[in-house]
Amino acid sequence: MGSSAKSSSPITTHVLNTGDGVPAARVALSLHRLDPRMAIWSLITIGNTNEDGRCPGLITRDAFTPGLYKIRFETGQYWESLGQSSFYPYVEIVFTISDADQSCHVPLLVSRYSYSTYRGS
Amino acid sequence: MNRLQHIRGHMLADKNMNIATTLPSPLTTHVLNAAQGVPGANMTISLHRLNPISSEWYLLTTGITDDDGRCPGLITKESFIAGVYKMHFETGKYWDALGETCFYPYVEVIFTISDPSQKYHVPLLLSRFSYSTYRGS
Repeated sequence: MGSSAKSSSPITTHVLNTGDGVPAARVALSLHRLDPRMAIWSLITIGNTNEDGRCPGLITRDAFTPGLYKIRFETGQYWESLGQSSFYPYVEIVFTISDADQSCHVPLLVSRYSYSTYRGS
Repeated sequence: MNRLQHIRGHMLADKNMNIATTLPSPLTTHVLNAAQGVPGANMTISLHRLNPISSEWYLLTTGITDDDGRCPGLITKESFIAGVYKMHFETGKYWDALGETCFYPYVEVIFTISDPSQKYHVPLLLSRFSYSTYRGS
């Protein structure tokens, strides 16, 4: 995938480790879209967050159609790699894209016993 | 008459009452509409447990939050075994009933119960474009 496509992914994320006050690096994650006819989730991308807790290139503009999307964050594995347990084995955030002309930022602020998300820009 | 005396009176009056229903669920939730500063009332929620052998979710309970955003009686102490659980909140339908859209058609919180002798509180603080949850008491 070319760098221009990575910089212009209309869906972006940012994972923050709020327990330690650092970006959550090397968190495995996957983006899925719900196929409305078959009511099953199709995998679009698998990736890992970088040192800044971001994961460029989640989806191309062309593939970004209206519908239901899901990002699954392997937070349990992340905390395990830090030698710690967590209340949540993983986090899934399901969201609706009605206007594919906009961009959508879906961050995850996570600690061992809490998490939050919001629709950003 | 204090609350305990009141409950005891009911229990003695009806010997057929299932005592388990008067004991609080070891797992509780609380939905807050953080955007409007009110409890998230009349939201449909469901509790599921993961079958570790088949990797399928088994539905345990469905319920609707009361006026205080709570849903008592989610699970009995006997059914509350160690494992991976999922709480499903119908957030899209909740905001739809208020005449608003929501970024999240539903919210699912998946969590691990390692020690079922403890109490676990899994609240949801929600707006149309954000939500948070934490392990409470």
